[in-house]
Amino acid sequence: MRAFAAMLATSIKTYVRNRGAVFFGVAFPLILMGMIGVAFGGRDTIQFTISFVDEGNPQVATPLLTGLRQVPVFRIVEESRASALAQLKEGDRSLVVVIPARGTTLEAFYDSSQEQSSRTALMILERFVAEANLRVSGAPALLRVTSSPIAGERVRFFDFLLPGILAMTIAQTGLLGVAPAIAEMRERLLLKRVMATPVPPLAFLGGLLGRNTLVQFLQGVIILLMGMLVFGAQVHGSLLQMGVLALLGALAFFGIGFAVSSLSRTAETANLFGSVIFFPMMFLSGTFWPREFMPEAIRPLIAYLPLSPLVDAMRGVSALGEPLGQFGGAILYLLGWTAAAFVIAVRRFRWE
Amino acid sequence: MDAIVKVLNLRKRYGAVEAVRDLSFSVQAGEIFGILGPNGAGKTTTLEIIEGLRRADGGEAHVAGIDVHADPQSVKAVIGVQLQEAGFFDRLTVEETINLFGAFHRQRLPAAPLMKSLELTEKRRALVETLSGGQRQRLSLALALVNDPKVLFLDEPTTGLDPQARRHLWSTIEAIRKDGRTIVMTTHYMEEAQRLCDRVAVLDHGQILALGTPADLVRQHAGTSTVALALESADADLRGITGVEEVSQSNGDLRLHTRDPLGTLHAVVEMRRTGQLRYRSLRLEEPTLEDVFLTLTGRRLRE
Repeated sequence: MRAFAAMLATSIKTYVRNRGAVFFGVAFPLILMGMIGVAFGGRDTIQFTISFVDEGNPQVATPLLTGLRQVPVFRIVEESRASALAQLKEGDRSLVVVIPARGTTLEAFYDSSQEQSSRTALMILERFVAEANLRVSGAPALLRVTSSPIAGERVRFFDFLLPGILAMTIAQTGLLGVAPAIAEMRERLLLKRVMATPVPPLAFLGGLLGRNTLVQFLQGVIILLMGMLVFGAQVHGSLLQMGVLALLGALAFFGIGFAVSSLSRTAETANLFGSVIFFPMMFLSGTFWPREFMPEAIRPLIAYLPLSPLVDAMRGVSALGEPLGQFGGAILYLLGWTAAAFVIAVRRFRWE
Repeated sequence: MDAIVKVLNLRKRYGAVEAVRDLSFSVQAGEIFGILGPNGAGKTTTLEIIEGLRRADGGEAHVAGIDVHADPQSVKAVIGVQLQEAGFFDRLTVEETINLFGAFHRQRLPAAPLMKSLELTEKRRALVETLSGGQRQRLSLALALVNDPKVLFLDEPTTGLDPQARRHLWSTIEAIRKDGRTIVMTTHYMEEAQRLCDRVAVLDHGQILALGTPADLVRQHAGTSTVALALESADADLRGITGVEEVSQSNGDLRLHTRDPLGTLHAVVEMRRTGQLRYRSLRLEEPTLEDVFLTLTGRRLRE
């Protein structure tokens, strides 16, 4: 226990004294967030293509579509039900909304493999519908969208971006921080020096893991605060649940970074190996834009990346205010990666 | 005194290379025991097996009565280890480093007296990355001593140091021995073995070729002393001089190889007085461990 505490304190000290690490852990994600925000946020976010199928109710359809065409994030397409559903399956529609011939309940379809962008689109749609109803002044709700109700706040681009950046930072610290750091300790025979003492390996590695978790947490808090204060991002869901996700992510990517270090001969290889995994994953896993923007052919593969479930869950909780329980599958999948990474890391671990 | 380190029939193989072949020796409490040999002789492997860092393929090693193979963690608790070229946390200070490694042990010495005895006190707040080679080696010693060990293992402690830092470290090592610790060290510097070690094992290709005090080894294996004369003229039978067994010439010196250096010296001085020999200077060369190694292997230590 004393060894663990000493190791924890030491590695925090060495981290704080390493300006490069602090820069990459905190400043880099913020700068990236600012740059992406300027590049995409200015055009008022991403676009969602929504199909409307009018089954013969122009009294509802005409004003609704006229109104929705004013919403910049929506591209509205009117088409037949068959064509709309086919396009949805192709991944070319975020949402298909059917306006029934009778009644005022809209029916929305989305592809569960693209849940994220669909939900976002749906939420904006609901918000719009709610406003439209309000404008009919006092009258009971004219239009309703049937779908699971979501906390109906406006999702701004930074709200969407912030959880992606948080998840990205967690993966970055594991792959570009932990992996070369452990490999360097081995290369410089520091691990061997430690092994020559009776310290249990678990206390030593536990200290490193503890440091990583703490650092991840602090980085996350700083990025979150800066994101909110500087970029005006909002967290719509539970901060506690975000914390839980950050912890799970930190553990998973420590494991993956640790595995990378065990599979690399030198610190340089570990750095390269980590980068080769991290950078493509950063772009592919939907940290900056919805994964639906990626070519359809590679989308199923992208879903298998360990960063994808973390991005989904963090974005779901933070931007959409969804409960953590909804991401049980994603969390289990991430835990699977964690377990596999630790098994590889420990099996292939060498002290020198 | 009883043996504090006992090694019996130790064997270790890396692929086709037999790094250690059937090695046996024991180290008495309180002595400085040297393992002398060229690079690749198996010195480090031998040490690392005794330290519990590597598993032997066969044989036994005991330190302070503990079987290394059965209980390496307990051995690590009672020994101090200084590894060759092992790194530090660069962004820690000297004092923080000592405290960290202290925390890795159940029993530990306070940092302050340790730094004082190793002359690191004024560097206590310096980051490790700013230390000189000699200071790093002394810090390495401090880390090896932090658990107040019974036996200290030093692997090539002065390799890479300049002569001044080397001599400085020698006196430090002698001071550590005065505290009552046993020291087992490897080296490929014969001067170092000769100066520091009570007993020396000469190792080559994983085998002990000879073991004894430096003086005994020299007497048994290094052969004769040499009286070297910068000769101007001789009017005598050089082979008839007291003790001389062989005469040779090199670099303009006349070299008299002798079993009786004092007798030969006396005779040579006397012959100069009587005019039988004329020479500008005279030098006595005692054989060293280097010659022991040369005799035993036909090679020099640092080839």
